[in-house]
Amino acid sequence: MTSRTTTVLVGVASLFAGLVIPVGQAQQVSGPVKVVQITGLAGVKDNAKGTLQVENGRLHFVHGKASSDVTADSIQEVVTGADSQRAVGGTLGMMSMAAPYGGGRVLSLFRTKIDTLTVQYRDADGGLHGAIFTMPIGTADVIKKELVPQGAQTTAPGEPSPAATSRTSPRREQKQ
Amino acid sequence: MNRILNAGIRLFLLTLVFSASPLLAQKTKPAKIKAAALQVEMIQSDEIKLPAEFQVALYENLIRQLEKQGFSHVYRDGDRNAASVADLVVLHSTVRGFKAGSERARQVTTVSGATSITVHCQFTSSDATSLLEQDVNGKVRFFGGNLKATYDFAKKAAHVANENFFTPGRE
Repeated sequence: MTSRTTTVLVGVASLFAGLVIPVGQAQQVSGPVKVVQITGLAGVKDNAKGTLQVENGRLHFVHGKASSDVTADSIQEVVTGADSQRAVGGTLGMMSMAAPYGGGRVLSLFRTKIDTLTVQYRDADGGLHGAIFTMPIGTADVIKKELVPQGAQTTAPGEPSPAATSRTSPRREQKQ
Repeated sequence: MNRILNAGIRLFLLTLVFSASPLLAQKTKPAKIKAAALQVEMIQSDEIKLPAEFQVALYENLIRQLEKQGFSHVYRDGDRNAASVADLVVLHSTVRGFKAGSERARQVTTVSGATSITVHCQFTSSDATSLLEQDVNGKVRFFGGNLKATYDFAKKAAHVANENFFTPGRE
């Protein structure tokens, strides 16, 4: 009886640990972070997958053999946010829409939470650019915290961690 | 035989009227305004709380679509090179309405969860004289992420620019 109770307790503890540990690990970013560049980086295609890293006062994005740099002191605004995307996306996601009895729609219910990082920066001529990245939950805030001491500006320095906000209160629809 | 001939003539006249009406409509279009270059100001959203990614996506898509429409010189907000351009047209955009919608709701229900953005576009000369003002909206109703509404807006706004402005040497 005692061993059964112990087994149940260990199981419950493991479950909670499984839920908490990945978030904790996600926030301890060291090195490049896998991101998707949604739009905005000069010379990089939309929705390009790559890695993002802050090094030597630069935001360094690598996509395949190509890379793109934005100096931290040219960044006028860094904003983090929370979003979600389909767990099953791409071609498979599109094909699933044709599944009978609304099977594809059921798949649409399963979504993974992601962070967004929006950066506004000026080029050499003073022209304003904007770039949007999506990345694993908990990593956007870390990149922002690395960028700000190196010269990047932000109007919301005390912004709450998107990981924390998305866990407690997912972004609600704004109707205006 | 006459009845068939009469019917044929009527059909011909009817076709002529319908085909001629767009030609007549084109004559009433206002003349295009000369724009040697366009400068796009950053999207403003003081009254409406707009997520930063939407603001940036609106701006970037707008610049891209204007370039696609054939405007060879599209300057960004703050670009120093624009200061010396004669016949510069500046595009100021202010968000007037925003409904974030939900991609999940769209995919599950098809009919709900649409994302929509309404932006007031004002084209001015470099001395701030208003040349054209128009509300343009962007929507995503069925497929795609919420940011796709910004692409829809950009396409429509670029179309408005193309309808009302011309770049010398382009046409």
